[in-house]
Amino acid sequence: MLAIVAGRRDEKARHLAERWASLSAAVLTCEDLSTAGWRHFPGDPDRSEVVIDGQSVAACEITGVLTRLSYVPERELRRIVAEDVKYAAVEMTAFLRSWLFGLKCPVLNRPTANCLSGPGWRHEQWVYAAARLGIPVQPVTWSPDHASFVPEGETPPPDVTVTLVGARCLGSADDTLVRQARRLAGACGADLLAVRFSKTEAGFRFHSADQWADISLPEVAEAILERFREAEGC
Amino acid sequence: MLVLLWGLSTEGPLAAVHKELLQQNVPVLAVDQHAVLDTEVRLSVGAHLEGEIRIRDRRIDLEAVSAVYVRPYDSRDVAAVARAGPDSVAWRHAIAVDHVVASWLDLTPALVVNRLQAMATNGSKPYQLEQIRNLGFGIPETLITTDPEAARGFWKRHGDVIYKSVSGNRSIVSRLQPEHTERLADVSFCPTQFQRYVPGTDNRVHVVGDEVFACEVLSGADDYRYPGQHEVEVRACSLPRTVEDRCRLVSAALELPVAGIDLRRTPEGEWYCFEVNPSPAFTYYESMTGQPIGKAIATFLAGAR
Repeated sequence: MLAIVAGRRDEKARHLAERWASLSAAVLTCEDLSTAGWRHFPGDPDRSEVVIDGQSVAACEITGVLTRLSYVPERELRRIVAEDVKYAAVEMTAFLRSWLFGLKCPVLNRPTANCLSGPGWRHEQWVYAAARLGIPVQPVTWSPDHASFVPEGETPPPDVTVTLVGARCLGSADDTLVRQARRLAGACGADLLAVRFSKTEAGFRFHSADQWADISLPEVAEAILERFREAEGC
Repeated sequence: MLVLLWGLSTEGPLAAVHKELLQQNVPVLAVDQHAVLDTEVRLSVGAHLEGEIRIRDRRIDLEAVSAVYVRPYDSRDVAAVARAGPDSVAWRHAIAVDHVVASWLDLTPALVVNRLQAMATNGSKPYQLEQIRNLGFGIPETLITTDPEAARGFWKRHGDVIYKSVSGNRSIVSRLQPEHTERLADVSFCPTQFQRYVPGTDNRVHVVGDEVFACEVLSGADDYRYPGQHEVEVRACSLPRTVEDRCRLVSAALELPVAGIDLRRTPEGEWYCFEVNPSPAFTYYESMTGQPIGKAIATFLAGAR
């Protein structure tokens, strides 16, 4: 079974689950965390039982997890009374972090202390890491005028996206950008990463990066599936 | 050399470290979050990191900072900001200052006690314990469940069980009692953490770099931090060398050069670890034991190059 941890309004996640229906894929929403049936034994993931799309599942049946949430947002918790929503959201985030971290199957991306999916770096961290790896960047500058809460300068939309899924590299970028994207993925330890570049007169430069690859693209969905299958064969 | 302090100047541990640094004649600047509306930060992040913090007429070149002691507080909770409200310029300014300082703390080559990313491990206690599972300490059998039947089964199996939050919020340890039986049905709304009760004596261990300060805590309360009617006695103690070394190992593994580690020694002499506090309120233990923890932190910060 494949689990996609996502918000209840995440249509891309729903479509992906439908695409993978033959593999018993289903979306695990935050409402599943308010459903009787979870039994998580930290350090013994095979004993755990989970609830996915309202159904109880033995954790050992799960062969891959794709996580589309960085934390549990309060708006997802419709079954929790208002005065407890904030607390429950924090508790559920902490719980998912532990459960996802302990799973033996592939998890894209495995959680970190900051994010349920991958490094959860701030934009400044991505820019600094990219620059340290020799990738051209536009420096981020915060001026003392904080009222607008945006860094200085304009950020035009990216021109090229390189999506990395494990060792696979998707997109039509040239080799240089692919190498740069790989270096960045290696530095942050993410298995699933979208790295974006902007075209300038001097050539391409790093624009942004995050773990939210476009899973509506068939080639991305296929590469994720391949990543799960590879691990199954190990 | 310059040590920067970030937090509330009135807060115990920050004030204690500040005082020790001054006594050691270490150049130190405290950036008081009470003054967030008078604080301006400029930061440029590219291949190099440079910027400055200005507080009224003071200016701090961030490249000159060799060490930082952090006791972060949400600047939105500062009275003047909270009064101004979420739609105000003050509110946005406070968010921006926190964001820019946090970004700098993530990236600066200065010694940071402790990095925010490392501190975040304590946001999920079972996640944190998984990181240290193989470092030599016992970890109590744990169940996190939304299933009342599973909770009852765990209770029946272990006889004596505690429950506590999974995150760092409302983190009070309580023993399950017969009067809780009916409330167990409520666990279906939110994953709830249960642990086998481990009998024994609580030990709080502060690691500061390579230094270890241990004390034992004698109390009849389930959670000595919230003792109710129970008395609490805290006294300095020494640990077996292997346990001391394990504490250093745990601190290093979690990338927390300063840490408050909660241990319990069972009557059989086993050592269990319950959690590692990444921003320990050491002044409580210091006042009870006389251990020079604040001085050690100050010396550690001053030693950074």
